[in-house]
Amino acid sequence: MAEENTTEENTQLVGLLAQFDDPDSLLAACDQCRQSGYTSTDAFTPFPVHGIDPALGINRSILPFIVLCVGLTGLTIGLGLQFFANSNAFDGISPFKGYGYLIGGKPIFSVPANIPVTFEIIVLSSAFATFFGMWGLNKLPMFSNPLHRISRFKRATNDKFFLVINSDDAKFDRSATEAKLTSWGAVAIEEVHQDLTDTKLPKWLSLVGILLAIVLLLPPIMIFRAKGMVNRQTRLHFNPDMDYQEKFKAQTLGPISDDEANPYLFADTRSMRQPVVGSVSYGNLDTDSHFFKGLKADAAPKPGEDNVADYATEFPSDLEINEAFLARGKQRFEIYCSVCHGYAGQGDGLVNKRAMGLAASGKASWTTAKSLHDPVVKDLKQNPVGRLFNTITYGRGTMGPYKDQITAEDRWAIVAYVKALQETGLPVSSEKKEEAEPADEAAAE
Amino acid sequence: MHKTRPAQITSPVVSLNGGQVKAIPMLAIAGAIGIGLALAISFTTEVPIKRFLMSYLASFCFVLSIGVGCLFFVTIMHLTRAGWSATVRRIAEIYAMCLLPMFILFLPILVTVIAGWDTVYEWNEVGYSAHGAKVDSANPPPIEVLKGAFLNPMWFTIRILAYFGIWGLLGYTYLSRSLKQDETGDKTITAKLQGLAAPFLLMFAVTVIFSSFDLEMSLSPLWFSTMFPVYFFAGGFGAALCTILLTCMYLQRSGRVTDEITIEHYHDLGKLMQGFVIFWGYIAFSQFLLIWYANIPEETFWYNPRINGAGWKPMTYVLLIGHLFVPFFLLMGRALRRNKKLLTFSAIWILCLHWLDHYWLVMPEYGRTLHQGINESFTFTGLAAIGDLACGIGMAALFVALFCWIAGDRALVPLKDPRLGEALNHEVH
Ligand code: HEC
Repeated sequence: MAEENTTEENTQLVGLLAQFDDPDSLLAACDQCRQSGYTSTDAFTPFPVHGIDPALGINRSILPFIVLCVGLTGLTIGLGLQFFANSNAFDGISPFKGYGYLIGGKPIFSVPANIPVTFEIIVLSSAFATFFGMWGLNKLPMFSNPLHRISRFKRATNDKFFLVINSDDAKFDRSATEAKLTSWGAVAIEEVHQDLTDTKLPKWLSLVGILLAIVLLLPPIMIFRAKGMVNRQTRLHFNPDMDYQEKFKAQTLGPISDDEANPYLFADTRSMRQPVVGSVSYGNLDTDSHFFKGLKADAAPKPGEDNVADYATEFPSDLEINEAFLARGKQRFEIYCSVCHGYAGQGDGLVNKRAMGLAASGKASWTTAKSLHDPVVKDLKQNPVGRLFNTITYGRGTMGPYKDQITAEDRWAIVAYVKALQETGLPVSSEKKEEAEPADEAAAE
Repeated sequence: MHKTRPAQITSPVVSLNGGQVKAIPMLAIAGAIGIGLALAISFTTEVPIKRFLMSYLASFCFVLSIGVGCLFFVTIMHLTRAGWSATVRRIAEIYAMCLLPMFILFLPILVTVIAGWDTVYEWNEVGYSAHGAKVDSANPPPIEVLKGAFLNPMWFTIRILAYFGIWGLLGYTYLSRSLKQDETGDKTITAKLQGLAAPFLLMFAVTVIFSSFDLEMSLSPLWFSTMFPVYFFAGGFGAALCTILLTCMYLQRSGRVTDEITIEHYHDLGKLMQGFVIFWGYIAFSQFLLIWYANIPEETFWYNPRINGAGWKPMTYVLLIGHLFVPFFLLMGRALRRNKKLLTFSAIWILCLHWLDHYWLVMPEYGRTLHQGINESFTFTGLAAIGDLACGIGMAALFVALFCWIAGDRALVPLKDPRLGEALNHEVH
């Protein structure tokens, strides 16, 4: 019902979102942004880009100091609690009388013995401080963010880089800031609007919430009341079949038979039965080497062998290649392959671009992800569908295997889609594709 | 602003060339004076040569553990394909190469073992004492016979030869391959060394474990702790990091190395230093806690003089506070670890305490065997202590002399390592 009220009047401009196509131009823009005096800013990237913090003028987090303080508190509590619990120094002062246990002839308060517990408490409290401190500093949990109203922004987790300048910045000025962003090389700029629709919970919901909270309090109250009570009634069995079950535990001796000569029912004496010979564990029934490996039925290549004659040239007969299958392949391809090979298969995916950039400056080693329109990859003689399937399944060269991420059927769907991509040449050029993408998504909503 | 540097050394080839040749005789003389002084002063003590040799052993183990730590540094950097450390790795390679010639420094002690004297190692005499009192040499207790199968002059000598041989082999392989790469730029050398690093790590582990048993733990032949080698290694690797850091600082200040080593490298070495300070404390406590808790005389007698002896008790606290808490806080936090002065100070501090650590491992055994008692009050005072200090300084001087000798005209930074780009651009975005 809130959806219907979302009209332009009900929203408020909270900032400007600028899109960049690569990390370097984003970094440069961040640097300019800081130098122009903007302070209320934020950047969003698909992977951590080192150097963004200083470029935006973000100071180092105070989290380490929070952790240090909490850790030292943990130390005090850990040592103090052990001292207090075992010591009789507080007799009379505190209602609790110290246990006064003597363990192994050690003194009542003995630091070496208390170090392990203290250490664990420091570690635990520091871990909590790190985790929840991070939440607090990031103002989490945050249930909604106006940026999510912009469909373009979704690609911040895929292949695009964004800079946001908030309207609460003292230097923010709708048109001047936009002009600046453009001059810093933004590819696209959009307004960020916050939804001002009433966000209050309906009354009945709060009421239900309060009632629920009260009901939830009942069990602890009952448990507290039952503390130290004695009950002489026999225990209730809600599920007697399960409580008194005729069964033998695994890894024990099996049932005893009446036969004196063979005292155990099973010759091997154990209670646990072995799986039937020839059983295949779940998910490992890959007898069909065509379907699961892309090989011809009679082919048996040795590990590492790559022989074109071994690969199947057809799709498995039980797969029906239709539009739905291709659509599935497209979707899977865009999830698993486009990051390296690009949406159109030209080998221009973000991971590949980034890796090539790093490799150029000697910071990584990488072979370029092949264009799927490469004549060799495209040629059905040199690269039959079975080999394509095999490449996805077991990887090839620098490319890793996708056997465990993608089911066999989906892998065949990807093969079909890749073939379609190759057949149609370049169906949508990669540039156009990128622009078409947000529009597609907007339409879908 | 974010300028990526080319993946090659731009400054002229850096080496100690010449300048240090003069330093070698001076360092050698300093070493001789230090050790000579210790020998001379030992004649004022109760058992002259014994006192000197034990003190010599402590100082020897101090520098040995640093060399061993540097060997580990090189191994682990190859094994993990570390890019950041490519520019500081050569220094560690040279220190690791020092291990082989250090065998000569061990000769004075080895001689006493081969000669069958119990000057340093009391197991070198049949029927040695367990808790001080000499036992009947005709009927030694069974455990001593058993240990005698391992701790006897011939076996000991063979093992010592094996340790130094293996360390020499590993050190030589790393250094010579790396120098070869300087000339040819052959990238496959890096890949080969990475493959070799795995078996080398195993060989390293075995030799370090048994050498720490032989050199230091067997001073008290009836005592046993499987944690001891880890303790030896933890302190040694921490000290090796400090040594690498100090060497980098010196080379950079004297202009021999310029922009190849950046603040990021110092920062990372500082992080590792703090990590290994904590690791040392963790291991020291693990070893202590179990023995303290179980409270079995067979094990506690080793700790007894150290934590109850009037002289050693304060030293134990100095170690606990000085080797753990002080550097822990000195190196805590990014700002502190990026402060070169403070880092230098911390490194020197840790090295001093690392010497004290070995002194604390070795010298109480001198008192124990001498006074035949567990509560003797051997103290770190008087002329004898000055002799011990002189010995430590002398040994360190010899170690540095070895470094200069091996470094010679060789480049102090790998010139054609394939990961130079990564190291030069470490944290440059
Ligand atoms: C992490 C990046 C990455 C991903 C993701 C990736 N690839 Fe690759 N791909 C590569 C690289 C790199 C190569 C080149 C391998 C080489 O030549 O060493 C390659 C090569 C190929 C080849 C050519 C193999 C040949 O015959 O030489 C095909 C076909 C291929 N990929 C298909 C796919 C498909 C289909 C997917 C999705 C399931 C996919 N790739 C996902 C990186 C990737």
